[in-house]
Amino acid sequence: MDYGRFVRTRQPLWDEFEQALARARDGAPLDHPALETLAFRYRQVLHDHALAAARYPQTGSARRLWRLALEGTQWLQRDRGTGRVSVIGFFTRSFPRAMRRLGPQLAVATLLFGSAALIGLSLAIVQPSMGAAFLGAEAMAGLREGRLWTEALTTTIPPAVSSSAIATNNMGVAITAWAGGALAGLGALWVVLLNGFMLGVIVGATLPYAMTGRLLEFVAAHGPLELTLIVVSAAAGLAMGQALVAASDRPRRDVVREAGRESLVVLGGCLPWFVLLGLVEGLISPSPDVTPALKTALGLALWLLFAVLAWNPFLKEDQGLA
Amino acid sequence: MSEPTPPIDRAGDETVLAMDNIPLTLPVAGVGSRALAATLDYMLVAILAFLWLFGAVLAGSRFEGRLGGAWALAIVIVGLFLLEYGYFVGVEVLTGGRSFGKWALALQVVSRDGGRASVGSLFLRNVVRTLDMLVGVWFMLLDPLSRRLGDRLAGTLVVHTRAQEREVLVARIPSGWGAREVAVVESLLRRADGMEPGRARLLASDLLSCIERDDPSLLAGSPPDADPLQRLRHAVSAS
Repeated sequence: MDYGRFVRTRQPLWDEFEQALARARDGAPLDHPALETLAFRYRQVLHDHALAAARYPQTGSARRLWRLALEGTQWLQRDRGTGRVSVIGFFTRSFPRAMRRLGPQLAVATLLFGSAALIGLSLAIVQPSMGAAFLGAEAMAGLREGRLWTEALTTTIPPAVSSSAIATNNMGVAITAWAGGALAGLGALWVVLLNGFMLGVIVGATLPYAMTGRLLEFVAAHGPLELTLIVVSAAAGLAMGQALVAASDRPRRDVVREAGRESLVVLGGCLPWFVLLGLVEGLISPSPDVTPALKTALGLALWLLFAVLAWNPFLKEDQGLA
Repeated sequence: MSEPTPPIDRAGDETVLAMDNIPLTLPVAGVGSRALAATLDYMLVAILAFLWLFGAVLAGSRFEGRLGGAWALAIVIVGLFLLEYGYFVGVEVLTGGRSFGKWALALQVVSRDGGRASVGSLFLRNVVRTLDMLVGVWFMLLDPLSRRLGDRLAGTLVVHTRAQEREVLVARIPSGWGAREVAVVESLLRRADGMEPGRARLLASDLLSCIERDDPSLLAGSPPDADPLQRLRHAVSAS
């Protein structure tokens, strides 16, 4: 077929496809026959594009067909998972399933966090100046006077400010821990080890001043879940790092993409909790009106609620992802 | 006369297999245009953050006593956090992969096979943005497809969407003419308005003499003393 005949006979079809695609992109409703026709025309355009690219390269029709093929592919071809995901489906199926698959990484992250905390505690006991390095001179002076630095949360900072600052800061830490996994897991490791070590050092710094009980009372309501969420976020980052470093026998591209999505589900399931924890840490934890027993009960209840949602005991293994 | 010329691919473009295994070249955006788009986006984020701050201060002073300065500050903190982490995710999910900067430079996020990127992919590529602020440019420089870390994780590419020429100017050619000759005629007809008139007419006359030699019937009905560009347009157009 010569070029002129090719253009004359096929151009009406290209025009039709272009107009139908423009209508569809503008949001015009498409019934099933219209969608089928559009897909059929797309296929014809693709074939014409292949012919033009091979026989009439760099001509106007080749360029037009290339553009039409690109636009058609972008509109008609969807990545898996483009559909809507319900919030309930996410929290009752996707999140628990992703959490179950995270078991090994979660065990590693917990072990690392605990070990770093123990090391930090030991170092702070052996070397008391370590506490000052992390807490600062002002907080250490407060400890000597029998005051915890956390009291500033009620005396100098309004609860609304402290709650929002705490929630956004913790979410930032969780996102960093998760995203750090993309650097072969190193960033996630750093966050787990640093947070564990800091916890150990801070607890160790309060021991000589007999303030550990008051510190534990302060963290009782929010601490258990907050630390769990940070460890879980880091474990999700580690899963991503593992996929990057050891991609099994499947193509690395596919394994990384899958691990990235699944770990993102874990992060997405953790982040909303930080809002609640921010409120607890800003309003309840520093409050002298709430008894230590009530704070502890609240902390355990929150942790249990998260655990039940995260491991959803009612979810059967063969139920698909939302 | 009609030897095939190289296809449209440029260095760094990605060829994927579309339906029926037909190769389709994706016009992958390079590091320069992507960095520029990101700069525009961050400028917008900075402006929005400033407006948010300004609005909160204004609201705080207006509702002092009723709303309270503390709540205004809390709203500022939450708003800035949402802007920092939510702007790119929100805008790209809503527009199907086009932030303000990408829109300005006619770029779009697509899946690795040229299709529409999923919501999950758009989330994934943007949540690691904080990390990409540190290493993203290096990743893009070292990757032939200019993918940053987020793109690699999400399986996405950023492509140019700038509209190509829509009109097919040549619909009739002398028998024996091929793609190269068509490209020459089209190139002249597209660029003629920006060329020196004399030079454009001279080139059109050369092409007309070639047409007259190979297929004089195409010039039937157009007076020889007419403007050569008009004659050439008339000769190769469909009517």
